[in-house]
Amino acid sequence: MNSSLKSSISRVGIIVIAAVMVEVISIIQYERLRGIMEEEMSSRSHVIVSALADRIQYTLDKTEITMQENLWDVMRSMAHPDSVYSALVRLVDDNPDIVGGCLAFYPYYYPSKGRLYEPYVRKSPDGTMEMRQLAGPDHDYTRNEEYLWVLNHKESSWTDPYSFESDTINYATYSYPILDTQGEVQAICGLDIELSWLGNLLNTRQPFASTFSCLLTPKGDFVTGPPESRTPRAEVELAVAIANGILPESDYPKLLMRKTSLHKDPYWQVVQVYKADEVYAKMHRMRRQQMVLILLGLAILAFMINRYARNEKKLRKASEEQARISGELSVARRIQEEMLPKSFPAHIYGSLEPAREVGGDLYDFYQRDGKLFFCIGDVSGKGVPSAMLMSVIHSLFRVLSQKTEDPSHILKVLNQELCRGNDSNMFVTFFAGCLDLYTGKLHYANAGHDKPYLLGDAPTQLAAKSNLPLGVFPDTEFEPQECTLSPGAMLFLYTDGLTEAKNSRREAFGRSRVQQVLTDCLANGQMTPESMVHAVSDAAHRFAEDAPQSDDLTMLLIRYLPGELFKNQITLVNERAEVEKLGAFVKDFCSSLELDRKSSAHLRLALEEAVVNVINYAYPKGEKGNIDIYADSNRKEVRFTIVDSGVPFDPTAAISADTTLDAQNRPIGGLGILLTRKLADSVSYCRKGDKNVLTITKSIQ
Amino acid sequence: MTTTIQETDERFIAVLSGELDTAAAEQTSQALQPLLDSKGKEIVLDCTDLEYISSSGLRVLLSILKQAKSVGSRVVLKNVNEVIRDVLDISGFISIFEME
Repeated sequence: MNSSLKSSISRVGIIVIAAVMVEVISIIQYERLRGIMEEEMSSRSHVIVSALADRIQYTLDKTEITMQENLWDVMRSMAHPDSVYSALVRLVDDNPDIVGGCLAFYPYYYPSKGRLYEPYVRKSPDGTMEMRQLAGPDHDYTRNEEYLWVLNHKESSWTDPYSFESDTINYATYSYPILDTQGEVQAICGLDIELSWLGNLLNTRQPFASTFSCLLTPKGDFVTGPPESRTPRAEVELAVAIANGILPESDYPKLLMRKTSLHKDPYWQVVQVYKADEVYAKMHRMRRQQMVLILLGLAILAFMINRYARNEKKLRKASEEQARISGELSVARRIQEEMLPKSFPAHIYGSLEPAREVGGDLYDFYQRDGKLFFCIGDVSGKGVPSAMLMSVIHSLFRVLSQKTEDPSHILKVLNQELCRGNDSNMFVTFFAGCLDLYTGKLHYANAGHDKPYLLGDAPTQLAAKSNLPLGVFPDTEFEPQECTLSPGAMLFLYTDGLTEAKNSRREAFGRSRVQQVLTDCLANGQMTPESMVHAVSDAAHRFAEDAPQSDDLTMLLIRYLPGELFKNQITLVNERAEVEKLGAFVKDFCSSLELDRKSSAHLRLALEEAVVNVINYAYPKGEKGNIDIYADSNRKEVRFTIVDSGVPFDPTAAISADTTLDAQNRPIGGLGILLTRKLADSVSYCRKGDKNVLTITKSIQ
Repeated sequence: MTTTIQETDERFIAVLSGELDTAAAEQTSQALQPLLDSKGKEIVLDCTDLEYISSSGLRVLLSILKQAKSVGSRVVLKNVNEVIRDVLDISGFISIFEME
């Protein structure tokens, strides 16, 4: 599984966990709120229903009290059947709730009135009283359940509400037994109260639009409820069925019911019905809003996480890229370091401290034919471009110096190469030298580089011509210069990174400080190149303190230590007989060096073959010419230099004989240069002016 | 450089002594002229006292070898010293001469 998939899964995971947490919190909150609301609603409902019940009870009580208070009047009026009406009028008139009153007499109470007698007074809406006798063949109150109950129990009783002359139930009757002194029922007084207000009372001031209340009889029959305009009949019937336990309440979680009964006769029930949807509507709305907010929050969270992750990815990518570049730079640095001389002989030391990973400075030295070739250079600019150019120059120097001992020529060719296609206008200050380790003769040329110091008794600047740097104009000439170093003298080369090393106050280290350090070294007898280079480097770093190194710092110090020198010279003419003289010359020189027979013979053969080559080919046939042979040694190495004024001829370029051929196919010639090459350590040719110069060296340690 | 040649029934024995350098090569070549007509006899070059040889000297030896091979006889180098063996080695002559 790749890491980006992993990270996006973990991102999704974070969001999902956040969503689940928020949802759980929301549910807990919702449930708590619901509980609170339910409690609140319950208590509110209780208050409302109790108030309704109280109100009803109050009306009923008032009716009962009116009955009590007027009982004496009714009883008194019973003395005459017709005076009963006036008593009933007074009774009905006494209480505005009461709309009618009757007195149903025990059968044959008034013999004159026959078996049944029931005077009735009714209050019409305009306040007038209508009086009539209700009993008749079609109205036998003695069969009335209510009548019979009161008669038997001798207790007052309320009827269930009923409808009278109307579609709606609008009446209830209070029946009160009037007893004689023996406790026998003489008549039952009924008071009708109007209940149409009850419907209004029940359903005004409901807390929610859909909430309604109904009044039920103790048996659960529906008495009155909300008008149909307010609540559909079906809903009311459903609520009644639930209240009566016909339908289980648990099947209708959307209906919330509160029920209370009057605490005494007639034990009517008040039922209040809430619709959960409406009760919790606000809460649901709140919850919905909350959900929207939460979703919005989560979306923002997701966006932020995503953004963060993307940024992090970008950052990671950038840092990976940086790591790659710095990895490549460190490889480049290693390559560059490897191009520099890795080991130093005792008389030479160099150091290069790049300001960045890779630098534009270079130095190099190597020994060939008893001569030390060296250079120091500074490519304009810093960093990778300079480093690339530096590598080119370094390689070119190595190649060019193989074929010439003239530093000015090296500079000339380098310059031409650099000017070719130098579109970026980079230039290089460069100093190259060639020190003859036997004679101390120093050939050098400068291309705009800082003049090296010559350290004899005191540091003095080498009298080098400045000239233009390399890479400026293709036709620049670099004057060849020379001087001779006395044994023990030193040459200190550096790049401007040393003199221009700055401290935090922007002051430069400067040439005078360099000179001072070198003088101190000389005075202290601190004479090894390594210790001197370190002394200068340390001084520069101490001076710069913590200021960042702004340029590459490069130094090269060469000490001329020829040691015990042996030299000899012979001049031959171009005749084969001269070879004998050469043999004697080489043998003498070798015995002065105390070489063994074998080494001596090898050197003699190497030289003889080379000189015979010159005798045979350098001069046109019949023409006389001289051959100068120089022998030098410092006991470590022997160097023979063969100089002639013949036609240019490079024997090192000639093809050697094939030594694998058999006798029949073996050519007679071509062996000479092969022997020279095999027997010597190095053979090199160069043309100096009108002379051929062939140098043969061999280590004798 | 001195050269002496002894002829027996089976072979020529040439004793080379001194230094066979370029200067001595021509004279030595002439001195060894009889060997070029070896009549099928084996040629032994006694190098016991030969101290030095250059490529010119090798050439002299090579011309004798070529001549001998062409008439089916062999050339043997005898008692070659270390210095000369090195030269024969470098030049590859060690593989075309018989050494004793």
